[in-house]
Amino acid sequence: MATAVHLDGITKRFPGVIANDDVDLSVERGTVHALLGENGAGKTTLMNVLYGLYRPTEGRVVIDDEERRFESPRDAIDAGVGMIHQHFMLVDPMTVTENITLGNEPTKWGNLAVDRDAAREAVVELSDKYGFDVDPDARVEDISVGEQQRVEILKALYRGAEILILDEPTAVLTPQEVEELFEVFEELTEQGKTIIFISHKLGEAMRAADEITVLRDGRNVGTVEADDTTREDLANLMVGREVLLDIEKPPTETGETILSVSDISVDDDRGVRAVDDVSFDVSAGEVFGIAGVDGNGQSELIEALTGLRKPKRGGITFRGEDVTKRSRQHRIDSGMAYIPEDRHERGLVMDFDLVENAILGSQHNPAFESGGRIDWNATRSHAEDIIEKYDVRPPNPEAISESLSGGNQQKFIVGREFERDPALVVASHPTRGVDVGSIEFIHEQLLELRSRGVAVLLVSSKLDEVQGLSDRLGVMYEGEIIDVVDPSNTTEEELGLLMAGEHPDDDDTDVSAADVDSVATGGESQ
Amino acid sequence: MEVSPMSEENTTTLFGREFGEFSSRTTAVVAAIVALAATFAAGIAFPDSIAGTLTDILTSEGTLSSALRLSVPIALAALGGIFAEKSGVINIGLEGLLIISAFTAIYVTDITGGVWIGFVGGVVASVLLALLFAIVVIEFRADQIIAGLAVWLIALGLAPFASQVIYGRPNSPSVDTPGTIAIPVLSDIPFFGALFDASPTVYLMFAAVALSWYVLNRTTFGRWVRASGENPKALDTAGVDVSRIRYAAVLLSGVLAGMGGAALSLDLGQFTGNGPTMVNGKGFIAIVAYLFGNYNPVGAFFSTLLFAGLDAMQTVLQLQGIGLPRQLIRIIPFVMVIVVLAFVGRTRIPAAAGEHYDTGDDNR
Repeated sequence: MATAVHLDGITKRFPGVIANDDVDLSVERGTVHALLGENGAGKTTLMNVLYGLYRPTEGRVVIDDEERRFESPRDAIDAGVGMIHQHFMLVDPMTVTENITLGNEPTKWGNLAVDRDAAREAVVELSDKYGFDVDPDARVEDISVGEQQRVEILKALYRGAEILILDEPTAVLTPQEVEELFEVFEELTEQGKTIIFISHKLGEAMRAADEITVLRDGRNVGTVEADDTTREDLANLMVGREVLLDIEKPPTETGETILSVSDISVDDDRGVRAVDDVSFDVSAGEVFGIAGVDGNGQSELIEALTGLRKPKRGGITFRGEDVTKRSRQHRIDSGMAYIPEDRHERGLVMDFDLVENAILGSQHNPAFESGGRIDWNATRSHAEDIIEKYDVRPPNPEAISESLSGGNQQKFIVGREFERDPALVVASHPTRGVDVGSIEFIHEQLLELRSRGVAVLLVSSKLDEVQGLSDRLGVMYEGEIIDVVDPSNTTEEELGLLMAGEHPDDDDTDVSAADVDSVATGGESQ
Repeated sequence: MEVSPMSEENTTTLFGREFGEFSSRTTAVVAAIVALAATFAAGIAFPDSIAGTLTDILTSEGTLSSALRLSVPIALAALGGIFAEKSGVINIGLEGLLIISAFTAIYVTDITGGVWIGFVGGVVASVLLALLFAIVVIEFRADQIIAGLAVWLIALGLAPFASQVIYGRPNSPSVDTPGTIAIPVLSDIPFFGALFDASPTVYLMFAAVALSWYVLNRTTFGRWVRASGENPKALDTAGVDVSRIRYAAVLLSGVLAGMGGAALSLDLGQFTGNGPTMVNGKGFIAIVAYLFGNYNPVGAFFSTLLFAGLDAMQTVLQLQGIGLPRQLIRIIPFVMVIVVLAFVGRTRIPAAAGEHYDTGDDNR
């Protein structure tokens, strides 16, 4: 077999950082190659070098046995390299056809007009060829995320891509959509295309790839055959030490009800109902998980509970007190800690240092404040405590938040919130964009709180996380909790179906693979 | 940053945009037609009443003719605004472009004696000012609103000042006008004959509206302009230089607004520079017009015609007198602007409008 891509000794330096350090990578034509690594391991940088977004400081890019120097993505596209970014590069109000042909529109009348029939025909032909099911006339904003991803892939193929790079392609998909994507991979490789995809999920890499390359700290620490490796081996390669993959959850006694939510309805920013009549309780010593595809009302629910958004209806009782109309400050003071889903937006002030960030939310706490003045010495030692206890690196309280890696920023937030001695922790996607080592640490900390009798409300779109940590698991779909299940007695497939809005109890027949497909496509066309 | 959920996104776009916008705009149009029909009915029944006077005014060829004339600068500036904003650059300086081109067109006509040379001169002045604006916001990442206001203030100061220096007063002397072109036979049709006996600038406006619609919706350039205002990164990764598209769109807005300003002053044969100058807010009304027209050149033209029609009507009303103080009559078009603004809320603004874009601002 021929080598489609050969990266030879790629080094990429940014001011003060070496993102890639002498990385070699070879990918055979017609295969799927997974690029695995923690956040900040240099995966995306390496692929941006291959796609011409960055020029390597050292090293060679060889495509089809020919050395290439890409000045821009345009050159990479011309050489047959296409990239599907994590955040789709689509123009929402335009149609599928308009998006696929953008920048390369077929024209007629001597460039005076776009030849719309020819464009549509080309798109139909292309999607038939690879067995994609997309409506060429649908507007991108009206189709599902899975379909949008297929539009992105078609866009690359339309430009003649032979090598497709996908950056974290599964991050936004339901389990069923992920399965469909991997089927697309198979179809593409059968027709001779080469696929490189970036992931930090071990299972996916093993499931979909022929070969897996693991990057750590910008270096290639090993390329292995997917069939000859185990999850544990890969995790150890990624982190460089032994990692406990399975979450060990000791049994605990649940105590009194800490948080009680009754019939709450919340609107989103556009005034559209996002949470519809949701009720649940969370008790001391229990993790109540909420699973669901992002954007099914989880964010609005959490904001209503933490006092960041006014619910339209319903009540919130916290430690026996009706806090529905109470302020955010009041809720913090009565023991509600909050790990927000977007740490840049809500968790930290990015251009403040860690000392200043340590006091956020505690600015009225007499321990740090007297007579309207902040006691910076006390705050500073508090920040130092968090840094030490939660292993924040670098251990420098004067570091500007922005300079920390995502995992360390998150550990700092977790530390700040947990050190409030809370009765309830509301953790929204606590490990999003965080490396494997920090994920493990944050999970341990959450379980530690649980064993101390703290109530935990956990929202996450990572199935393994909510499934592993939760004692009870609610699944949210289109603003409603459609079911509360015992996570230890529920399979990932069952959860996936619930997340897609399909209640298995609705029909009495067994759910077969065919049903799974129809559910996924049915959900998209709505 | 997370990719927004599809299911939620779908319902809101369906109800929030298409349905909502459709209904509110339809309501407005239906209400206007009903009011108009009622006025006509009352006017025919009681020819001596206020309704009778209004009916006379609304059905007179003169009103249509002056509405068309008043539309020219607003419609052309609105077309320019559409191109700029669709590409992601909010050009709030249209007013300034109108002022600078209105003066320059008169000045160049005065020294060369050629009305059309003056017209081109006005366009060139507007394009130069638009170029300055483009460089400041695209190259140097200035805030578009502030830079746009600066364009207005520069022109507002510069044009009367230049007139003062050259002519010794803010108002220029009179120059030749392009006159009118009457199309035989068609211009004799009652009422609608006004469409065929008009200044060449009116025909130019019709052509510009049609051409703008075509360019925006049918050409690759138009598509790139729209993509540049919605998701510049998508356009960039598709291999099209976003800055170039934005420069082109802003310069095009300079050309169109320049045509509007030159037409405004040349049709009257004079530049008047007192107070807000002869442009007197037309650039800002143009912005309302294209927002109400939902960035569609044809829609923008019709909302322009609405404002211009009211403006023409209030001028006649002032002369005829219907028992209302003139000051109140004079504000009718502006009251209408405020009413219309209430409906603009439903307009879909290009997602990246007002945002700077740089290649390489990557999410690494």
